[in-house]
Amino acid sequence: MTLTNYRNYETLHIAFSPSVNVFVGENAQGKTNALEAIYFLAMGKSHRTHRDADCIRWNCSDAQIQSEVFVHGKVRRLQIDFHQGAKRASVNGVNQAKMTDFVGQFQVVLFAPEDLQLVKGGPQGRRRFIDMELGQTYPKYLYHLSQYQRALQQRNSLLKNMLPNASALLDVLDAQLVEHGSEVLLRRLRFLDRMKQLAADIYTSISDGREELALDYACSVAPMTDSEPPDKSRIQSLFSAALERRRSADMQAGHTTVGPHRDDLLFTLNGQPVQSFASQGQQRTIALSLRLAEIDLIQQEVGEYPVLLLDDVLSELDDIRQRNLVFNMSQKVQTIVTTTSLFQLRDKLQADVRLFQVRSGIIQNEG
Amino acid sequence: MWGFPEPIQHLVEQFMKLPGIGPKTATRLAFCVLDMSAEDVHEFAVALEDVKRKLTECAICCNITEDSPCSICRDPSRDNHVLCVVQDAKDVAAMEKTHEFHGRYHVLHGAISPLEGIGPNDIRMKELVQRIGTSDIREVIVATNPNVEGEATAMYIARLLKPFSVMVTRIAHGLPVGGDLEYADEVTLAKALEGRRQI
Repeated sequence: MTLTNYRNYETLHIAFSPSVNVFVGENAQGKTNALEAIYFLAMGKSHRTHRDADCIRWNCSDAQIQSEVFVHGKVRRLQIDFHQGAKRASVNGVNQAKMTDFVGQFQVVLFAPEDLQLVKGGPQGRRRFIDMELGQTYPKYLYHLSQYQRALQQRNSLLKNMLPNASALLDVLDAQLVEHGSEVLLRRLRFLDRMKQLAADIYTSISDGREELALDYACSVAPMTDSEPPDKSRIQSLFSAALERRRSADMQAGHTTVGPHRDDLLFTLNGQPVQSFASQGQQRTIALSLRLAEIDLIQQEVGEYPVLLLDDVLSELDDIRQRNLVFNMSQKVQTIVTTTSLFQLRDKLQADVRLFQVRSGIIQNEG
Repeated sequence: MWGFPEPIQHLVEQFMKLPGIGPKTATRLAFCVLDMSAEDVHEFAVALEDVKRKLTECAICCNITEDSPCSICRDPSRDNHVLCVVQDAKDVAAMEKTHEFHGRYHVLHGAISPLEGIGPNDIRMKELVQRIGTSDIREVIVATNPNVEGEATAMYIARLLKPFSVMVTRIAHGLPVGGDLEYADEVTLAKALEGRRQI
């Protein structure tokens, strides 16, 4: 990868190992900036800012990210130019008219410190995580989700200000919620089904088998048991019955108290709910397991592993977890890790791990 | 602070009541009126008034018309057994352009949307039910917009008309004619796939 006037890099050439790459450096030296550039090449945007101009080096007008990537055994030359407030992308020298055509030339999964909120934060963040994952693979999911949210707004507004004929109108809105909400639920349940085992296995291997992670979809409509596979007509009848059952309560509350918009993801470690019992390091390991499970899902979907970007995650993990994480990843995924110090990793590094020192906009390969 | 003379200011405010017109455009329009000849301005004012004064709602289909019943409702060559329900007078014009529909219309003047405080009683729903009860209509085609509000209105109509012996149908979702498949958005394409038929 070559960066020109990107963030704090004037010029930077860097050759990555196909296995694990570690960026070591003090704070504010440009470790995350280098990760951001890789993310930019894959997603066509930054994960930190909406303003592309922020990515251009101070007092410069243009910037460039260039890289060769190996996808399905072939080399692709990707390039993004920032010029006069616009960005232009090209693949193998061919200009891409639309950024959406450029996005997805290769896949990345980013784990940033904020991802801890997946475990620690409110249910909204966890629903958004599922929605983003599903939206990327199934455009129809986003359609059903937005229709569901619109119908929900209509219903809530009716519950607050009862119009004449409200009950007949509620029947109609309930039918709409069921139509779109069941599609949302069905996709989410299927997704969770695949995610569950992957995340649990990853957690076990990082924690050296000391703890067991379980993942459950807490469904406000009805408890969804594993024994029966999710089935559309069953979900529809359950949802419609739940809406009917809750109607008088909903009328009192002035909003809809049941449906996919009230659902959550529950994590338990050895049977204990995580939100109240798990340590910071355990919670981070869970968030990490979710992202790593995403890697396997993408592999199943696309047929190739994405590039894993780990921004500053080692600091809160103990030695064993650090080693297991890095070892696990070096087995299958090209990984780029940033860290302020190597902790105990240095002696345990395998030969194929490439180490880079990052110091104020200069990156040196330390082998 | 200096401002425009009161008559201009007043006109600007009036223009700003129109959709899509902000203070800049309204000011430009107001000064354009100032530059117009007195006759043109008069004609403009009369046209504005006539829209309200000369138009009424058709007693049968609720479409806007100069004379009630409207020309479509009076047309003896039209099919009395098929009724097309639309949200808006503009939708009648759109349907008429197809030259394919020869039945009658019913204009609702809106769609059910509790968010905007619009319930069934705020659109011409009662008139529709009355009409079904007193005429010889056998099929009601619901041609409301394919969004949440339009679908809710369609479902509501279907429920309301259950007691009558009429068939209620909904217009299809699908691909635009003459377009390329590759340009269709994913959701429309998925909908079109759902509504496929044998050939």
